[in-house]
Amino acid sequence: MFLNPWSLALSLCSLVVLLLGAVAGKTAVRVLRFWEPGSDSTQQIRLENEIWLSSTLVAYGLGFQIITLILFVLAADEFCQVIVGAMCATGALLANPYGMPALLVKLFGVFFYGFWILLHQLDIRSEHYPLVRIKYLALLPLLPLLLLDATLQTLYIAGIKPDIITSCCAVVFGESTGGGTNLITGYSQQGLLTAFTGSILGLMVVGWGLLRRWQAWLAGVYTLGWLWFFGLSLVVITTVISSYVYAMPYHKCPFCILKPEYDYFGFGLYGALIPAAFFGASAAIAGLARGRAGLAGVVDRYQRLTVQLSLILLVIFSGLSFYHYLKYLISGGEG
Amino acid sequence: MLIELSGVSKIYNQGRANEVRALSEIDLTVEQGSMVCLKGPSGSGKSTLLAIIGCIFPPTSGRAAIAGRQLARLPDRFLTLHRRETIGFIFQRFNILPELTVLENITLPLLPLGVPPKERRHRAQELLERFGITHRALFPAGQISGGELQRVAIARALINNQPIILADEPTAHLDTALSREFMAIMQQLKTAGKTIVIASHDPMVFEHPAIDRTVVIKDGSIHVP
Repeated sequence: MFLNPWSLALSLCSLVVLLLGAVAGKTAVRVLRFWEPGSDSTQQIRLENEIWLSSTLVAYGLGFQIITLILFVLAADEFCQVIVGAMCATGALLANPYGMPALLVKLFGVFFYGFWILLHQLDIRSEHYPLVRIKYLALLPLLPLLLLDATLQTLYIAGIKPDIITSCCAVVFGESTGGGTNLITGYSQQGLLTAFTGSILGLMVVGWGLLRRWQAWLAGVYTLGWLWFFGLSLVVITTVISSYVYAMPYHKCPFCILKPEYDYFGFGLYGALIPAAFFGASAAIAGLARGRAGLAGVVDRYQRLTVQLSLILLVIFSGLSFYHYLKYLISGGEG
Repeated sequence: MLIELSGVSKIYNQGRANEVRALSEIDLTVEQGSMVCLKGPSGSGKSTLLAIIGCIFPPTSGRAAIAGRQLARLPDRFLTLHRRETIGFIFQRFNILPELTVLENITLPLLPLGVPPKERRHRAQELLERFGITHRALFPAGQISGGELQRVAIARALINNQPIILADEPTAHLDTALSREFMAIMQQLKTAGKTIVIASHDPMVFEHPAIDRTVVIKDGSIHVP
C-alpha cells in the first residue's frame, strides 16, 4: 500500500520530521553539555546561533507532525475502499494490529508536540533564553515518540492488504456482542450525557473563576479537568453524539462524521475539541515557566489567553455536540 | 561607556579551508557623545568591527556591549527591535532606493515600526528642513545630486532618533567639498549628543577636528603606534 498518494505523503512527512528531529537531537546534546548563559566563549556564541535555526525547524516539524493526524485519518478513510468489510476509517484502522496504536500515538502526540511548541514560543518571547536547556531536555523524549509514530505508521501501511477481511464501525462500536472487535460497550448513554454536561459546566465555572482571579491550584484543576473531558468527549462522540448525527441509533462511529455525506460535521467537532483540550491543559503547564527570567508577564498573558480560547472553543464544541440531539428532541424525530 | 568591546574576535568560515581571522582580541570603548574614527587600509577589519558594533552579527568570541547589553547576541526578534531603536547606519554607497522618492527613502525605516503615515511625514519634514532638501522631497531619489543623496542617507539614519550613528567609508565616493559638508553635518550631530563611529581611511575624516579619537586597525588588531 506504499504506492498510494496518501501513504507517500504520510511517509514523506514522517521522514522529514524524523530528519529534523535527528539534527535537533545533536543540537540538544550539545546544549545540555555546553550551554552556559552569560559566557562570551566561542562555543556559547555558536550555540546561540545554532539553537535559533534548530528550534524553529523543530517547531515547524512538530507542527507538521500534528497535521499528519488529520492526514492519517483521511488516509485510513481512503484505504477503506480497498479493504473487504471496511466502510470507513474504523475498518481500515482495524485491518491490522498497528492502525489503532498508530492513531492513538498520533492523537496523544498532538499534546506532547504542542507542549514543546508552547515551551519554544515562551522561550523566544524573552531576551534571556530562559527555557533553552529545558526545551532541549524535553525534546529528547519526543524523539523516540516520533520514531514510534513513524514506525507504527509504516507497519500499518505495509500491513494493509486488499484481501484482509475487517469489521465495519457498526460492529466495532455497536452494542451487539456477536463477532468482531467491540471497542466501547457497557456505558449508559444517560450517565455519559450527565457526566458530559456536568464536565462542560464544571470547566466553564473553573475557567470563569480563573479569568476573574488567577490561582495556581485552580489552574491545575482546569488542566486536569480538560484532560478528563478530552477522554470523556471521545467516548461521548462515539457512543452518543455520532448516532444523532447519523440519525441512526445503531450507527456509532467517530470517523463516519468526517465524511461528506454528514457535511464534514466531525471536522468541526474535533477541530474545536482538540485545540480546546490543548489550550485548556496548557494553562497550568505554562505556569511552570513563570519564574524564569523575563517570562512572568508573558506567561500571565498566555495563561489568560489559553483559558479564554479554551472557553470559546468549549462553547463551540458544546453547541455542535448538542445540535443534532436538541434538533431531534425539538422536531420529535429526524424531521 | 556607550559602546564597549572586550576581547572581540571574528573568524569567518571557522574550521573550514577558507577560514579568515578578521579581528583578534579587540578592546575598544566609545563614550557617549563622542566621535571616533576607525582608520586602516582595505581588508584591515574596519567594516567587520563596525558590523559587530552595529549588531549586524555577533563576534566569534568576546564581549560586544552597547549600554551594557550584548545586543548582537539577543534572540533575533529582540535584536532587530533594539537595533532599529539604537543604531543608524550610513553606508559607503548610501544604499538609497532610486525608484522611491526622497521622502519615501527617508521614512523607510519607520515602516516596520508601524509609525502612522502622518507621524512619518512629520519626522521626515523636520529632517528635510534640517538638511536643506525640502524642495527635493517628492523627487525620485535616482534623480538628485550626489550631495543631496548623501544628506538623504544621513536623514534616513536619523529618522528614528537613534543615539548611535555608524558610517562605513561615507566619503569614499564623494568629492572634497561634499566630504567636508558630510563632516560638518557629523559635527552638528555630535554637538546634539549623538555617538558617532566612522570607518574611513580618508584624511578628510580622521584629521577632522571634530574627531575625538582615531583608532588604527591593522590586520584585525588595534595598532598602537
